[in-house]
Amino acid sequence: MDSIPQELIDTIIDNVPESSLLSCSLVAKRWRRKSQRRAFDTISFSFEEDMDCWCTDIPQDSDGISSYVRRLKIEEISSWAEPALFSRMLESLSSLTTLLMDATEIPDELPGHISRGEFGNGITTLYLGHSSYTPAMMAMILSLPNLKELCIENCEVMPEGPLPTHPVTPQRRPLDSLGLYGSVDGVAEALAESQLTFGRFSSNVGITGVAQLLLVSSEMLVELKLYDSAWFLRVPRPSRDDSERSSRCFLL
Amino acid sequence: MNDLPDAFYYEIPSTIHLPPLPALTTLVIELHSSRLSPSSYLTNVLCSIGSAPALISIVIGHSKWEHIDGIFSEDPWVDLDRWLSRIARHAEVAGGLTLTLRRWPEGKSIWEGFLPEFGESGEIKVEH
Repeated sequence: MDSIPQELIDTIIDNVPESSLLSCSLVAKRWRRKSQRRAFDTISFSFEEDMDCWCTDIPQDSDGISSYVRRLKIEEISSWAEPALFSRMLESLSSLTTLLMDATEIPDELPGHISRGEFGNGITTLYLGHSSYTPAMMAMILSLPNLKELCIENCEVMPEGPLPTHPVTPQRRPLDSLGLYGSVDGVAEALAESQLTFGRFSSNVGITGVAQLLLVSSEMLVELKLYDSAWFLRVPRPSRDDSERSSRCFLL
Repeated sequence: MNDLPDAFYYEIPSTIHLPPLPALTTLVIELHSSRLSPSSYLTNVLCSIGSAPALISIVIGHSKWEHIDGIFSEDPWVDLDRWLSRIARHAEVAGGLTLTLRRWPEGKSIWEGFLPEFGESGEIKVEH
C-alpha cells in the first residue's frame, strides 16, 4: 500500500461514489484525509439539534474536519429557537465558500457579525430560496465582502411584512453574477435600490424587476440570460405599494 | 400554465427604455414554454434594450422541442426580427453579430428564411 503514489490514491477517491467515501477513509491513513475532504465538502442541516451537535462534537481545529467543509446547506429552519447557533456554525467553517439557505430564516444579528469580519469572509456564493423577504436578507447580501454569485429564488416581500430596506453600507465590489427566479416580488426592486451591481444576470422574473436591475448595472453587464417561461410571464400582483413601484419602473 | 395567452396576465408593460449596455457581449434566451414563439414579455424586455454595440453572440434555445410541433406564431418573431436587425446594424464588433438557434428541431423547413431582416446583417447558425 505504501508504494502507491498519493496522486493515484487521490484520483481513485475522486472517482468513487459518495457512498463509498466512508469505507475509503478507513482503508489506510493515507486514504483518510482525502476521503474525508470529499465526504465533508458539502454538509446539510434541517434541524437545529443537528447543527448543535456539529458545533459541539466536531473539533474546530484549523486542519480538521470542519475545515474541509466548503458548502453548507440549511433547509426548512423557518424560525430559529437559538439564533446564535447559525453564527456558531459559520464561525466553525473556516473554508466555507458556498452558503445555500432554503426556506430558512436569516437571524437578525447575523449580518452584523459578518460586517464586523467575524466570519463569512470566504463566502463567494449565496443561494436564498423559498423564504419571505426580510431586511436581514438584504443586510446579509450586502455584508458579505467577497460575494461573487448570488441566486434568489421564490422570496417575496409579504404584503403584511416589512418594506424592503437595506442598511447604508460602503460601496461593495460588483457581483460576478446575479440570478433571480420565480416569485421575487419586491426583492428585485430592493436589490436595485441597494445599488448592487453585477456583470452577468439570469432571470425568469417579470419585466419590472429586470428593468430596474439592468438599469443599475447597465455599464458593466456582459451577459444577459432570460428564461421565457410561465414565471417570466408573471408580473407583480397589485399590492399596497404596487402603484408606486410601477410608476418608478415605467418612468425609466 | 405555459400555454395561457398573455392576456391572462393582468398587464403587459411595454414602455420601458433601458440605457445603452456598452459591455454586453452575450445574450442567451431559453424558451421554456411549450410554445414555439417568444412571449410578449420577452420581446418587450429585449426591445427595451436600445443599444448593445459590443454584442457578438445571441443564443435562442428551447428545452421542450418535442412538445411544440405545429405551434408557431409569427408575430412575436417579426418583432424580435426587427429588434435583432436593429441591434446587428449598430454592432461595433468585428465580424458582426451571430445568432445561434440551439436545440432547434431537425428537418424543419420552417427555419428557412427565418428572421429575414436580421439575416441581412447578421449570421444565423442552427444547432440541433
